[in-house]
Amino acid sequence: MNLRAVERLIPTSPQAAIALVGEARETSSRALTELRDLVRGIYPPVLADRGLGDAIRALALDTALRTETDIELPGRLEAPVESACYFAVAEALANAVKHSGARLVQVRIRHSVSRPASRARLRAPRSPGLLRITVTDDGTGGADPARGSGLAGIERRLGTFDGILAVSSPPGGPTMIVMEVPCALSSPRTSSC
Amino acid sequence: MRAVLAEDLFLLRDGLVRLLEAHDFEIAAAVEDAPALLRALIEYHPDVAIVDVRLPPTLTDDGLRAALEARRQIPGLPVLVLSQYVEQLYARELLADQEGGVGYLLKDRVFNDDQFIDAIRTVAGGGTVMDPEVVAKLLGRRSRDEPMARLTAREREVLELMAEGRSNSAIAQRLFISEKAVGKHSTSIFAKLDLAPSTDDNRRVLAVLAFLNA
Repeated sequence: MNLRAVERLIPTSPQAAIALVGEARETSSRALTELRDLVRGIYPPVLADRGLGDAIRALALDTALRTETDIELPGRLEAPVESACYFAVAEALANAVKHSGARLVQVRIRHSVSRPASRARLRAPRSPGLLRITVTDDGTGGADPARGSGLAGIERRLGTFDGILAVSSPPGGPTMIVMEVPCALSSPRTSSC
Repeated sequence: MRAVLAEDLFLLRDGLVRLLEAHDFEIAAAVEDAPALLRALIEYHPDVAIVDVRLPPTLTDDGLRAALEARRQIPGLPVLVLSQYVEQLYARELLADQEGGVGYLLKDRVFNDDQFIDAIRTVAGGGTVMDPEVVAKLLGRRSRDEPMARLTAREREVLELMAEGRSNSAIAQRLFISEKAVGKHSTSIFAKLDLAPSTDDNRRVLAVLAFLNA
């Protein structure tokens, strides 16, 4: 719209046209920023580039609370699992920021092949392995999957992959959220440089 | 000044070559993938490299990794990394060796050619240039962390602009204060962040790093 106006204004009042071009440039740069945020909300670029580990590290850096990570993932997961786990952790961190009053959040991620937890073994007798994510905060507790839609959302998301969610959050805290998803870890992507 | 350029899209690569040549840069090599970039950086040892994060072969962060590898082999090799999106994680990886001479900008900034060329020269001179979006993200959090909490509001403003790679005179202009005042603020910032006296450039890099790690 602005650009149309600029076309009309150029012959008669170039000053006004210049102002409008400036405005148009700002609008387009804002649109780009919004697009970038949108993409981040659907499938974050770091997740695609580096996998779950670095994506969570990047998320921790962007979180408004002090967030420590302890992640050992020597490989990549299937893309849909990566994505589900990423958004599950994002939701857990967002909850911690909004509701817990915590000063510190810790995220721990491990993948084990040898000894899957018993429940997972029942569902998948020859388990390819188990991804275990723990999000702990030192806040006031009282998180309840039955009440908060966020935690229920995580449960649904992980359920798609036979994953489970366990929440321990007594009044007074701390809150500990454990997520387990049976899944295989591929060998790390080899790089040519 | 000799530059190596890595960008896989032909039109953008060609445009960048023209832009740089128009500003009296000599293009030692303009390559389109990460292995070629690493070879060119080692062979030509340019005054500055301008690198797209996303390069073949895997089209993920190959450009960044090639740049980091080149800096392991040639410490302090000035590299300006361009990307469609900015991540604090990648900014830290670039800054981690504390050698300075790194820049990390959104690709859109290329279209403001004065600022873009300024950024290249700052990086080539051993300075650091972080995209305002990286800096803005840092402001949203953890302002209460030590030792950043010791800074006054004004000192934080100066540090933010320093992180964006602006010179003292540019900072003075932006904040409507004198260059001398900027100098005083920086001295105070360096002292509060416990940065021992050394060259001013090096302390700027370390101050920016402390800011990013806060």
